[in-house]
Amino acid sequence: MAQQDISHHYSRSFNEELGAVRNHVLTMGGLVEEQLRLAILALVSGDSDLGDQVVRDDHKVNRMEVSIDEECSRIIALRQPTAGDLRLVMAVVKTITDLERVGDEAEKIGYLAARLASEERPRDSYRALQHLADLVAALLHDALDCFARMDAEEAMAVVERDEAVDAEYEALTRQGITIMMEDPRTIRRVLDTMWVGRALERIGDHAKNICEYVVYMVHGKDIRHLSRDELPFGPEAGNEAP
Amino acid sequence: MKSRPWAYVLVRLVLIIGAAVGAGLIFGYPLAWVLGSLIAYLGWHLYHLYLLERWLRIGGRQPPRDAPGIWGTVYAELYHLRSRHRERKKRLSRLVKEFRKSTKALPDAIVVLNADHEIAWVNRSAGDLLGLTKGDRGQPVDNLIRDPVFVDRLRSGGLSRPVRIQSPAQRDVSLMLQEFPYGKRQRLLIGKNVTAEERLEKVRRSFVANASHELRSPLTVVSGYLESLIEDDELPEGWRDPVLEMGKQTGRMHAIIEDLLTLSRLETAEAEAEREPVDVAGMLALVRKDARSSSGSPCSMELQLDCSSGLLGAESEIYSVISNLVSNALKYTPPEGTVAMRWWCDDLGAHFSVTDTGVGIPAEAIPRLTERFYRVDKGRERSSGGTGLGLAIVKHALQRHGAGLEIESELGAGSRFVCHFPKDRLALECASGDAQDGPDSDQETPDADNVLPFRNMS
Repeated sequence: MAQQDISHHYSRSFNEELGAVRNHVLTMGGLVEEQLRLAILALVSGDSDLGDQVVRDDHKVNRMEVSIDEECSRIIALRQPTAGDLRLVMAVVKTITDLERVGDEAEKIGYLAARLASEERPRDSYRALQHLADLVAALLHDALDCFARMDAEEAMAVVERDEAVDAEYEALTRQGITIMMEDPRTIRRVLDTMWVGRALERIGDHAKNICEYVVYMVHGKDIRHLSRDELPFGPEAGNEAP
Repeated sequence: MKSRPWAYVLVRLVLIIGAAVGAGLIFGYPLAWVLGSLIAYLGWHLYHLYLLERWLRIGGRQPPRDAPGIWGTVYAELYHLRSRHRERKKRLSRLVKEFRKSTKALPDAIVVLNADHEIAWVNRSAGDLLGLTKGDRGQPVDNLIRDPVFVDRLRSGGLSRPVRIQSPAQRDVSLMLQEFPYGKRQRLLIGKNVTAEERLEKVRRSFVANASHELRSPLTVVSGYLESLIEDDELPEGWRDPVLEMGKQTGRMHAIIEDLLTLSRLETAEAEAEREPVDVAGMLALVRKDARSSSGSPCSMELQLDCSSGLLGAESEIYSVISNLVSNALKYTPPEGTVAMRWWCDDLGAHFSVTDTGVGIPAEAIPRLTERFYRVDKGRERSSGGTGLGLAIVKHALQRHGAGLEIESELGAGSRFVCHFPKDRLALECASGDAQDGPDSDQETPDADNVLPFRNMS
């Protein structure tokens, strides 16, 4: 009886640890989302102080990554998780790497925003960039929601939405080239905006990666680098977790 | 029979036993007869118990079977109980349905949280505004509402004050989230859509800013002409006083407009002030020097520095806090009175106080003191030339630094204004106080008994 109690307690505190680590990942995700939002706001409103603030705050994201990383190492060392628990820990380790990179991209956007604030604003006042940023922010947000809800089907849907981001980035690049050809004096500014677009496109890819980890976590299948037809299961073939 | 079933049962038992004894007397073996008849009686009861159990197992939905004796009563009572129970259940589910419908119609998002911040129940608006669904039950709420400000406040238990966040589900929608405890460590999280109010507030603020700005240029023209009129030697003698008065009033209008602009700047700025190191000690010395030279105030001023550290904040705002409080104190203190400034730190953070021995403030006026254009005494203060916005500026500037304002006062005895700055705003070793021209070396006074009183000279 006593032994049963101990094992019960043991597994419950293990569960709590897993819940806590998941919670920390999502807190970090919230921080990254906020950084991205502020960076874009700084760019669109031409607020160089806000851009600098985003650059300054990037260390918070980095610090969280390190602490979650340690937490995962400790769980692996002490608990030796198996099956679903192990997949969760692995997915967490990968997710925070991607989130940290998203944070770096947001920092880059903040830096560019501070620099662009002193330049002449383009005619469309970054409307195209804002649109791309909205798409990417929604993608990141939904990816983190999928992570919270362990929703693999929704995650697959989010993965496909990354194509829209790529198409938008393509259009933005083409537009940038046109503007530069029309008026070479804008080259410097447009190059900076293109860097912002590039950073946003990268964030979209990171969000996609996070979704793929969610699928891995739930189904135990690695869907990275597979085309849609090669997927081992469609959205309809639901629960075949090993 | 229905009214007293047990008497009937008793009578029947006695009759059976009597019949058995009678038969035993006639045929012999009376004990065996009694035993046999009791066993038969028990069997009959068991049979009916069996029937009852089967009836209950199919749900007791059929009307009760006809049963003799006590069993009939039991069936009737059970049936009655059951139908009453069903009636109550129907009423309850109707109530729950009504309740659900009404919470569905509520425009505010409602989330019930348990003690661990896990979602226990959400209404429909929570889906629209917060992106939460019924399937999120059991999920920690900060997994899905990830705004860092919200998460911080949730974990530190500071959600009893509302917090404003961007809706995670809809773009350009702002929400005011607030938590109310209820029941056994349950919490109700209510999210209100404040987008419209926020827009209105923005319009109001930009109106004040624009109006002040527009008033400034004509006023500059008027005061320019007035100034040249004052200096004009050919001005008829009867005109001098009115022109001087006009000059004074335009100066006041200038001050009001400047204060309005400062206020609207403070309001439109980000909620948190920046964290540049500010040398408070040097600033205090400067304010003291300025106040003395400009107003030529006759009362004596003391400065006590018990803390060497400065603040992390916006220099111009901290300056306007100090100078507004000091000039207020000077204004209401008679020439023989004293105005004392003190700067000290303790475990709670840093504090700055201005104490005067002036006229004091009536208790009922203290809560309204930081309202715009609020006057304690309608008649008195117009003459003293304040703008009526000083304390509003102080309040807003302090808010941006996470600081609070405490006001104590006694009529006729004086007032004390204390600003409490939180610990994280403290700059531990203030950077050498470069920008300030502190005339006295009052930066290195770390211990409390090292008091530097400055007496009014001149």
